[in-house]
Amino acid sequence: MNMAKFISHLDLMRCFTRAINRSGMPVVFSQGFNPHMKMTFALPLPVGVSGLREAADIVFEDGVGDDEIKERLNENLPPDIRVTEVGDVGAKASDIVCAEYGVVLKTDDSAELNSIKDFFGRDEVIAMKLTKKKIEKPINIMEYIRAWEIEGNDSESIRLRLVLDAGGERNLKPDVVVAELAKACGKTDADSADICRREIFCRTREDGILERFY
Amino acid sequence: MYKSKFEACLKRVQKPARYIGNEFNSVHKEKTSDMMSFAFCFPDVYEVGMSHLGMKILYHMLNERSDTVCERVFAPWDDMEREMNNAGIPLLSMESCTPVREFDIVGFTLQYEMSYSNVVNMLRLAEIPLRTSERREGDPFICCGGPCAYHAEPLAELVDFFILGEGEEVNNEVMDAYKVWKGSGEGREKFLETIVKIQGVYVPSFYDVEYNEDNTIKSFTPNREGVPARVKKRIVKDLDNTYIPEKLIVPFMETVHDRIMLEVFRGCIRGCRFCQAGYIYRPVRERSVDRLVKTAENAIAATGYEEMSMSSLSTSDYTCLEELTNRLLDITVDKRINLSLPSLRVDNFSMELMEKVQKVKKSGLTFAPEAGTQRLRDVINKNVTEADLLRTSKIAFGGGYNRMKLYFMLGLPTETDEDVLGIGELANKVIDSFYTLPPEERRGRSVSVTVSTSLFVPKPHTPFQWEPQNTIAELERKASMLSRSIKNRKIIYNWHSSDVSFLEAVFAKGDRRLGEVLISACELGCKFDGWTDFFDFDRWLHAFEIHGIDPRFYAYRKISYDEILPWDYADVGVSKDFMISEHEKAYRGETTSSCREKCSACGAAQFGGGVCFE
Repeated sequence: MNMAKFISHLDLMRCFTRAINRSGMPVVFSQGFNPHMKMTFALPLPVGVSGLREAADIVFEDGVGDDEIKERLNENLPPDIRVTEVGDVGAKASDIVCAEYGVVLKTDDSAELNSIKDFFGRDEVIAMKLTKKKIEKPINIMEYIRAWEIEGNDSESIRLRLVLDAGGERNLKPDVVVAELAKACGKTDADSADICRREIFCRTREDGILERFY
Repeated sequence: MYKSKFEACLKRVQKPARYIGNEFNSVHKEKTSDMMSFAFCFPDVYEVGMSHLGMKILYHMLNERSDTVCERVFAPWDDMEREMNNAGIPLLSMESCTPVREFDIVGFTLQYEMSYSNVVNMLRLAEIPLRTSERREGDPFICCGGPCAYHAEPLAELVDFFILGEGEEVNNEVMDAYKVWKGSGEGREKFLETIVKIQGVYVPSFYDVEYNEDNTIKSFTPNREGVPARVKKRIVKDLDNTYIPEKLIVPFMETVHDRIMLEVFRGCIRGCRFCQAGYIYRPVRERSVDRLVKTAENAIAATGYEEMSMSSLSTSDYTCLEELTNRLLDITVDKRINLSLPSLRVDNFSMELMEKVQKVKKSGLTFAPEAGTQRLRDVINKNVTEADLLRTSKIAFGGGYNRMKLYFMLGLPTETDEDVLGIGELANKVIDSFYTLPPEERRGRSVSVTVSTSLFVPKPHTPFQWEPQNTIAELERKASMLSRSIKNRKIIYNWHSSDVSFLEAVFAKGDRRLGEVLISACELGCKFDGWTDFFDFDRWLHAFEIHGIDPRFYAYRKISYDEILPWDYADVGVSKDFMISEHEKAYRGETTSSCREKCSACGAAQFGGGVCFE
């Protein structure tokens, strides 16, 4: 069980700050009255969702090698949070357009496969979304779903792949889709579903074809 | 087996990070059948419990033992309690999600009386029989420590044993005894009969209590051989050579005290007569600067915290404060670590010190004169004068501060309306001191003073233990009188509810007959009584009514010196004669010198260390 997915975005930033402090590696601080580490996470992960390829931009001072950063961060991060790659990323957070999620729905009823297909076939599913100003607003979530697929099922669960709009412009959290899906299916409990972000995609190429963030 | 159900619960609650554990430096050990397990319970929510230094010390210390697993348990917030209840999950430990009832020893730290309902509730959620008399072979032993263990008779029927004093040594001796007992195949009582011989261990079921017709205690006597009439507390004599954890757990979520707490010394030289901590932690024992700097360095490296505080009852009384501050600044400034100095006393506050701690970040200024007039400050032995306060505030305002918080108490013994109104007058004088500065020396155009009053709760093991508390009506009259008298809009006045303070007095001074009241209150839904959103006074009154007990008996009665007190079982090392003499001096308005100025022969020298032998 990976509990780190229950850490909020702010807590995750603090966790990295302290891991960097413990590592003793020199990082660049912002100027000004209240200096802070130059650190940005490309796309905040919703509480309760795990992430396999997340991205953070941290500015280290010259002379700290990529391998050293990876090794020393991993020594100083809690076991559930791992650095898998360190390097220069061309894309910016503002280039992000969508993200892919894996969803495992716990259900012993294979008839729900049909309910899922029906659900994604609908033109309109209205759900409440919290705007940046913390106001609830009804939206049609179907407009935010770019792709979906049933990856497989067994006697206990159904595995799905979802690609949803993500980033600063249009963003839909996967738990909103899963909650609506669970309502439509009837027998599945949304809270027992396992949701994982697998990949973040951005648009950096001139021909408009989406690329992995890194 | 509960893990996946537990995870589903986490999706439905506020702040799930309270329950996830796995923080950096948390200890995860595989428990084998020959090992002992200790569940360290804090009867409040995670962010409060994780701010407590004592828990950090004892958790890491027990885990240093290769034969022991110590795991943490906190009170689930009510949303999580509901979810766990619906899912059929009992109270679990944080590290391994093991049911608390499966641990060998379940220990609670008692930091404040209003957490007693949470102790009962956590036992209930753990599905552990509530009363000691109901526990059988296979049930865990329930123990309690912390400051309230010195007067915890209301929990006597629920707790198998208490540890009085500092746990660094006693806890290890208890674990050693448990190991021997576990292998012996003897009954539960045999274990208690063994550990009752360890100094600092109090086993309430080994004492019989008889009551007089007026409900006072007639006798309080051991009911078997080998049980001491009174239990003497344990202390660590040399704080430099004791276990100090450095690899502290670094929580994911923000906790109340989210920083390295450097314990500079234990005890307090002052002897404010209302303050229990000032008596129960005697004698004052300091750590050396070298030891503290080394601890600080190691803790910074092991935690990555961006803030450190020197924490003691009255940090500015540390004999080498200047040297310590300078050397700590040497290791913190470059690393951008903010060093803060809490609990400053007005009388030895210096501008120089203030500027030093400001080097990194300026934090607010708080002072606690406690009473509004010199007469009453002398009664409570708070040796702070008005001139001291005004001198300090002038220095502070000249040094760039323009906000100050002042803490007072209402309902102190001998208090008159004049003393109450004196609080507002003192606040006005602090404001005036700002305007006596030449305008070019003032920083900021205006000034504000926040006055907070808490309500006096007479505490066991203090010279005021025999005092009655003011009634709720009287305290409310005083607070509103003070509020009306404060006309200056630069003064903000806050005060707290008197219902909670009344119950605090009842449970501080209560006897073991209150155990059943606690159980009933818990059944009625009382929990988190320290939180205003949960506290329900009517429910508590109902619980008292069920058992035909009048709570006013405990809080409002003037107790005579010859009465047997429910907390007489605990010998904190300060003699009753000294307490009586301090009580009498209070009524004469006479102050008592601090331990460093002149020894007052309180009795704490018997421990053979600290300030008594400086």
